[in-house]
Amino acid sequence: MIHRRTVLFVLALAACATEASAAELSACVTGPTGRPIPDAAVVVEGATVDPRMPRPLAAIEQIDRDFVPFLTIVRQGTEIEFPNRDPLKHHVYSFSAAKPFEIKLYAGKPAAPVLFDKTGDIAIGCNIHDWMEAYVLVVESPYFAKTGPDGCAKIADLPAGRHRLRLWHPLQRQAVAERPLVLDGADSIRIDATMEVSPRTARRKPPADKDDY
Amino acid sequence: MVFRSIERRIVAVFVGLLALVTSLTLLLVIESNDRVVSGESERRLGAGVRTFDYLVAYSQSQMETAASVLARDFSFREAIATQDRATVLSVLRNHGSRIGAGFMMVVSLDGMVMADTLAPGGKPRPAPFDGLLRAAQATGQSAGFDEMDGRLYQIAIVPIMAPGQIAWVAMGFNVDDSWARSFSAMSGLGIAVLAESDGRTVVPAGSLSAELRDALGERSALPPPDIPILMSLNGQRHHVMARPMSERATAVLLLSLDQAEAVFRDLHRSLAVIALGGAVLFILGSLRLARHIARPVNTLAEAARRIEAGDYHEPVPDSGADEIGQLAASFDRMRQGIAAREQKILRLAYEDGLTGLPNRTWLLDRLGRTGPTPPCAVLILDLDRFGLINDALGHAVGDRLLRLVGDRLVATVAPGIGVCRLWGDEFAVVRDGTDTEAAIALSVTIHAALQEPILLDGQRIDVGGSLGIGFWPQDAADSNTLLQRTELAVREAKRQFRGYALASEIGAGPPHEQLSLIGEMRDALLRQEFEVFYQPKLDLASGRVTGAEALLRWRHPSRGLIPPAQFIPFAEQTGFIREITPWLLDQVVARTAAWRAQGLNLVVSANLSTLDLLHSGLAPLVKRLLASSGLPPGQLCLEITESALMDDPDLALATLNQLAESGVRLSIDDYGAGHASLAYLKSLPVHELKIDQAFIFSLMESGKDAEIVRSTIALGHALGLKVVAEGAETDAELGWLKRAGCDVAQGYGIARPMPGAEVTGWMADQDSAVAR
Repeated sequence: MIHRRTVLFVLALAACATEASAAELSACVTGPTGRPIPDAAVVVEGATVDPRMPRPLAAIEQIDRDFVPFLTIVRQGTEIEFPNRDPLKHHVYSFSAAKPFEIKLYAGKPAAPVLFDKTGDIAIGCNIHDWMEAYVLVVESPYFAKTGPDGCAKIADLPAGRHRLRLWHPLQRQAVAERPLVLDGADSIRIDATMEVSPRTARRKPPADKDDY
Repeated sequence: MVFRSIERRIVAVFVGLLALVTSLTLLLVIESNDRVVSGESERRLGAGVRTFDYLVAYSQSQMETAASVLARDFSFREAIATQDRATVLSVLRNHGSRIGAGFMMVVSLDGMVMADTLAPGGKPRPAPFDGLLRAAQATGQSAGFDEMDGRLYQIAIVPIMAPGQIAWVAMGFNVDDSWARSFSAMSGLGIAVLAESDGRTVVPAGSLSAELRDALGERSALPPPDIPILMSLNGQRHHVMARPMSERATAVLLLSLDQAEAVFRDLHRSLAVIALGGAVLFILGSLRLARHIARPVNTLAEAARRIEAGDYHEPVPDSGADEIGQLAASFDRMRQGIAAREQKILRLAYEDGLTGLPNRTWLLDRLGRTGPTPPCAVLILDLDRFGLINDALGHAVGDRLLRLVGDRLVATVAPGIGVCRLWGDEFAVVRDGTDTEAAIALSVTIHAALQEPILLDGQRIDVGGSLGIGFWPQDAADSNTLLQRTELAVREAKRQFRGYALASEIGAGPPHEQLSLIGEMRDALLRQEFEVFYQPKLDLASGRVTGAEALLRWRHPSRGLIPPAQFIPFAEQTGFIREITPWLLDQVVARTAAWRAQGLNLVVSANLSTLDLLHSGLAPLVKRLLASSGLPPGQLCLEITESALMDDPDLALATLNQLAESGVRLSIDDYGAGHASLAYLKSLPVHELKIDQAFIFSLMESGKDAEIVRSTIALGHALGLKVVAEGAETDAELGWLKRAGCDVAQGYGIARPMPGAEVTGWMADQDSAVAR
């Protein structure tokens, strides 16, 4: 379910792209053993950006005591909503330097979305449920995508030019160095990358209490 | 060890058995206690190790819980996230003091100490427990023991998540003496933590005394892990198990065996006291029992020794109603029985059954057979003609006669003079003192008392008898010899028809001289000291000498000529007569043959003794001698006394028959001295009767003797025997004998015995005298 939504979101992003003479980047990330790695951020930086490009509102929902999605990539200055779909309260917080914030115990939709006006990665947790975690990557570039279950992500409508390709994952063990990406108007380009990522199953969620609903 | 007394043996057995049982029990108890102690201490050690592990795990989880709680504290995380160091430190201190931690730290993800309660103002530095930190980085969190700044800690490290990890929080408990003591109090074991520090073994924590701690620290090698071993520390035994805590630290758990054994030592001491007390009680008790048993036994043994020594008079002491008392009672009855039987035996032993008089044994005892006794005179009485009476009237009458003789003897002698019966018709009278005249007077009295006939069933029986007198101890060295000599004296008295004879006259000289004579006889024969004298015999009818009697003489080198009466009795007693007789016969036959060769034909007589007659070789010897000399058998005459025939009449008769067959003449010597009956003599193959010289001596004085001689001559002739009279000394006697019809006479009246060489000369003188 999560993956499907992510794909839909990517497709929506792709649909938003307006530059016609654009190329399409397809990046696939695997672990050292060749296993596809989902939820990796693929960001192309360094392209000239039209400042008028819209910054659509994003949302990180709390469903069944989990943040959905796990990784959210937004442009600098994007607002994110944290709607609570559970019949219990959450206490969302972040101590990350790019955006420390706190939404104390709430149910339903908080009063205001949170503005992410600095670039950087932000870890979001719930003070009530230790296992809940979500990540937001705030970037300058509008050209980014998140790998799906197959470990691949697609970025369409990329302008030609000399860019930098950046890979990031919330649970990465080591930062992956940026690599140059030169686009000369070809229709599509495919890049394969590897990175080491800790498994996500480190912290277990206890079974839901029926009375919570 | 040999115990000679019952007492000691009983005590030894009782106490020995008790000691054995007690020692075995003690050994068993000690041995099983050792096993219990060793098993118990191993069990306690195991339990202690489990407690140790549990406490380590418990305090670890306590720390982990505390650290986790801290790591989730929102404000704490916020303070860390916002680099608010002062707040972080204060939170750390607050939590640390709440749980009693030795230190608390926040460590960054790259291993730098960001906040430290031990060094609040310190600059960031790498975390000192990098091993544990690496383990936490690998697995999320970690716990264990590690050293920091020279102190040992139990440390837990947990991540701080927000929600991704932003740092580590580390906390530790001091592993020090108070930690060790609290463990010791909980587990009951001693503990010491040994750690390697700069190549030395240090003891950072321990519940032990300083000495034990030093002793442990001085040991170069750590005990092997997780294996219980025995270790001696400061002379005390410990059960020890090592439990590794970290690479460099090891906990050593100790259980003092001495402590564990202390309980049992008390038990052993109690047991030993009981055993000792029991042994003392046993010794006393068994001593008492043993004395109880042994005392009456000793008393009995004492009584038995008295009885053994012949003292039957003292009763055996009564010693109660138990078994020993019963034994003592039976013992006393036995004593009485023995005493009664001894009395009876003594009576039987010393009393003559027939006459009720004391017997020969009594006399021998009186004469010192069993020890020195006072001097005395012994008079032996032998009845005359008792054999005839016994033959004629039967043994029953003989026995009654003997009893009457005994009565008469007792009635005759004075009180205090002992009368006893020796055997057969021999009685003895014992008179204290060695007064010779008194003894002779007593003999005369007894002799006279027996002249009175004894009335038996209305019959008057003439008994009469002869007595020998011996003196103790002059006449013999021992009682038997005295009796023998005195009996010889009796025979001598009989032979001489005298009432009595003195033993001292028989075999002259003191006893030692007799002994030496006996010894010398054998040498005398070899040295040819014996000589044969001949006494001529006169044929009364023709007035010619027709025969001679050969008489043995001993020409002793120092004592001179010894008459036969002084040594022949001993030769007969010792059996030496058997060697003398053949020599004598050889001499006589040779001499007679020599005279015959000179034209002198004499019938020569030689005397034979009892032993000679009982010697089966005698007759062949005589035949051989006669044959070799060519002497006609009729010229040899052998004289035998009545008594010689009496010892073994059958064998004597056989010998006589053999001799008679060979043609030798046989003569009864000393006829009338003994009690041989003429009826018996008639059955013998004899040719001659020699009337005992005692009759001839008194021939002229006693009409009675003359009558006896006359009737004897008549009887002899009636039986076809030649009658010879011995001891004819005077012409009157010779004349009387010639008139009475006696055939041959012999005696000093005719000639004294003379050496053989002188006989022919004497004959020549006689012939010339007759011729004149």
